[in-house]
Amino acid sequence: MDGIHDLGGMEGLGAVDVDAPPFTHDWERRQWALSKNLAVPAGTIDFWRHGIERMDPKTYLSVPYFEKWCLNDLTHFILAGEFTLEEATSGTTKRTGPRAEVRNLEVQRHRLSSNEVRFDRPAQTEAVFAVGDTVTTQRHGHSGHTRLPAYARGATGTITHHHGAHLYPDDGAHGIETAHHLYTVEFTAPELWGDNANPNDTVLLDLWEPYFARP
Amino acid sequence: MSTFDSDKAAETHRHLHSHMPSDPALRVKALESLAVERGLVAPESLDAWVELYADHIGPKRGASVVARSWVDEDFRARLLDDAAAAIREFGFEGHATGHLKAVENTKETHNLVVCTLCSCYPFSILGMSPAWYKSVAYRARAVREPRAVLSEFGVDIGADISVRVWDSTAELRYIVIPERPAGSDGLDEAALAALVTRNSMIGTDRDLKGTS
Repeated sequence: MDGIHDLGGMEGLGAVDVDAPPFTHDWERRQWALSKNLAVPAGTIDFWRHGIERMDPKTYLSVPYFEKWCLNDLTHFILAGEFTLEEATSGTTKRTGPRAEVRNLEVQRHRLSSNEVRFDRPAQTEAVFAVGDTVTTQRHGHSGHTRLPAYARGATGTITHHHGAHLYPDDGAHGIETAHHLYTVEFTAPELWGDNANPNDTVLLDLWEPYFARP
Repeated sequence: MSTFDSDKAAETHRHLHSHMPSDPALRVKALESLAVERGLVAPESLDAWVELYADHIGPKRGASVVARSWVDEDFRARLLDDAAAAIREFGFEGHATGHLKAVENTKETHNLVVCTLCSCYPFSILGMSPAWYKSVAYRARAVREPRAVLSEFGVDIGADISVRVWDSTAELRYIVIPERPAGSDGLDEAALAALVTRNSMIGTDRDLKGTS
């Protein structure tokens, strides 16, 4: 979708605050822990991300980073029917459950190291492209979740790596599990940004086969 | 069970933002209270997770990997071939590193990592990402004017050096292997690791100091 989250290349946003630390407030640490300890019922990582993409653009730009995560986690609990809107806005529930088991530091360390999720899947089709091929991306996206950024649409680049088939986020956001061949594509900076860009510079993106125009 | 209803997600977001207290601390407290009352998580588990990231998971992990790549050619080859497998030699595998890829800086090239669409980051090996990495300014500008962004970090790249910007659009995650600094001869692996900055592994730092 042409959403506010698709920021690559947007101008006028000012300087980067290079000294900003990972966390400023305790509630940010708390939200990080919540997102990684609640089984947020988004179904797929793709639909979780798409939830953030569907925030009001003004809100997206104005609320702090981890507040987006909070609102998005609540949204997914509500969509899945596990919380009501009233429970979320009041922050309390009459539908209490048995106290959850405590995960101590060692348990958490184990959870982190065993959380190495893989997204590659057996390929169902032969790869259409190979390393070294020139490819051009689709000129138009679609209104759902996609990982082809607007700045790289209709652009021509060179495949530098082929990663086999990976879960396809555009379908994953609808709860449909498909896998397509994934490639790293290198675009020259002038191809993306015009002749004033340094011709020595490149941008590399990981893109799925359906994002390319057919040869 | 998720409905995968995109429009309903948009509507719910709007409702929550309009009807919840505006202070983000209260919003997070509401989520925590609900989750605890419902028995979905214990507050002590959240404390432990915060402690894990504060004291145990962080860029020192990535720095150890980089230092080994400077002293052990075979390890470096394994790291560049399959970083997700190579970091298992340290027990550093985990969250968001299942498809880790290491990219090396050379005299002729500089690598910079960004996620323009959200904020993807190799947490298990670098810890929590700095706030600037998640900022709209960095996400918008890193792909379009990487040299201007780098100069804001105090890094000036010669025009003849190629800047390669990696936009983390899929589930691959990237770690930059900076060059070993001059003047670091004779240092052991632990001393070398102390020279590696977090930013150098994202690409917003380049010339590391040879002494700590």
